[in-house]
Amino acid sequence: MSKIQNIFKVVSNEKLCPRFFRLCIDAKSILKKIQPGQFIHIRATDGLEPFFRRPFSVYRAQKYVEIFYEPIGPGTKNLALKKKGDDIDVLGPLGTPFSLPSKNIKQVVMIAGGIGIAPFLAFSDILKKKKNLELILLYGGRTKGHVYPMKEFKANGVKILVATDDGSIGAKGRVSELFSKVKTDPKTTFLYTCGPTPMMAAVQAFAKKYNLQGEAACEEVMACALGACLGCSIKTTEGYKTVCYDGPVFDLNKVIFH
Amino acid sequence: MNLSINIGNTTFRNPVTVASGTFGHAEKYYNLDEVKQLGAIVPKTVTLPAQTGNPPQRIIETPSGMLNAIGIENPGVDGFIEKKLPTFKKIGIPLIISILGHNDDQFRILTEKFNAVDGIAALELNLSCPNLGHKTLVAQDPEATFRVVKLVKSLSRVPVIAKLSPNVTDITVIAKAAQEAGADGISLINTFTAMVIDVKKRKSILGNFTGGLSGPAIRPIAVHMVHQVAKTVNIPIIAMGGIATASDALEFLIAGASMVAVGTMNFVNPRAPLEVLQGIKEYMKENKIDDIKQLIGNLHKN
Repeated sequence: MSKIQNIFKVVSNEKLCPRFFRLCIDAKSILKKIQPGQFIHIRATDGLEPFFRRPFSVYRAQKYVEIFYEPIGPGTKNLALKKKGDDIDVLGPLGTPFSLPSKNIKQVVMIAGGIGIAPFLAFSDILKKKKNLELILLYGGRTKGHVYPMKEFKANGVKILVATDDGSIGAKGRVSELFSKVKTDPKTTFLYTCGPTPMMAAVQAFAKKYNLQGEAACEEVMACALGACLGCSIKTTEGYKTVCYDGPVFDLNKVIFH
Repeated sequence: MNLSINIGNTTFRNPVTVASGTFGHAEKYYNLDEVKQLGAIVPKTVTLPAQTGNPPQRIIETPSGMLNAIGIENPGVDGFIEKKLPTFKKIGIPLIISILGHNDDQFRILTEKFNAVDGIAALELNLSCPNLGHKTLVAQDPEATFRVVKLVKSLSRVPVIAKLSPNVTDITVIAKAAQEAGADGISLINTFTAMVIDVKKRKSILGNFTGGLSGPAIRPIAVHMVHQVAKTVNIPIIAMGGIATASDALEFLIAGASMVAVGTMNFVNPRAPLEVLQGIKEYMKENKIDDIKQLIGNLHKN
């Protein structure tokens, strides 16, 4: 009974690097409306296993709606089996987008961990159109195999710094190792982050230390994605908020990471 | 084809509705023309004071189902009447309001508050609430069930439906108590108390420690319980428990339910209630049944 539930066609589904896949969906009704930070909710089975749909932030929205994922659990593994021409049941667009930086912002720092890179390509597609805006991506992955080839980001003029847990590419360690390499200014810097909770908590600590503003795209186990079940609530300084409806993008300094 | 069902003095155009807590708050996403086709809407349970709900993690998927421990997060009765009720009324189909009191006095005030507003078709009592002075829920104690139903029934100007918990030894005892107290209908089943453990952390996954199991995993148990209750009472039953398809819903009607509610499956397939309604109509046509009442409880002997 939702006006945003549709069956679309898969256009392509391919491995982009050793660990990550990209799925393109011919979803014009979503393409017209979706903004970076928003997500779509995919039914990854025709049956009941896995039971829940799976939420994915929009990775790119140019000709098709694209998502970026790692086949790691029962939902994403099913999704990796989708082929060109297959039907796919999608709800979307859903949730709140990233807000565009205000006029005084001169530097945008996107901080992503692992698959948390997903919303930032679509976002940089929009941000690159703004003049006098420095775009920086701090990206942490487990190994070289987890690091997405960065050519689209480079083409968007994004300055990229990488860290891997094993040092197989970029700096060795967590993405927080890269914070010291960026010269920020509370008046002109704005942070956007998406990734594992401990990483976003580190970004929040960094923001508090240097008095920076920002936004976090959050994740929680989700059922309906329509704001009905209230299952995906997280703690914020303004009480419980649903990731699906109030979020997934929240004021970085208002999320209480656990 | 007559699909209409009566509960107390209220008539529902057809027997398909949604289970409390599964249809909701984001009206911008719903296709009103489709929602309007249902027999009734049941919003999320309303309590007297606002409730903030349980700490995360609140849900987890399980084989063919899910656990939830939301904690009845809701704006309280005054907030509900002011902010949510107008949007539900706009849909233009009967509203069954689910209420939960943490004591008898709260049930009394909730009933009076809803007596004072228009556009309510019935009250559903969420009896999975604390039974003060006991370690059980009201729905686990026939005397407490009798007392709460009788209290609300004595005050309410709309029909009263008692929602039963499956977490009991014999659900027919509770159903009988509700009927004797004057309930106009019974709805069942609520969720099964359950838990899932994270073996890495050796901790219960849900923030509330336990949660309620729902979804197709529990359906055969729900069908059995509805059948037991239908044999015991003569008031209408609203059945819920993992209904995903029209065939699932038909099982409940044949077992003796007068109405069926799609719950958890709304989270997976928001179109499920409509598909259920459509499928029931097709089944009636194929089997030359012109009144749904001919189907209710029409279970052949083996």
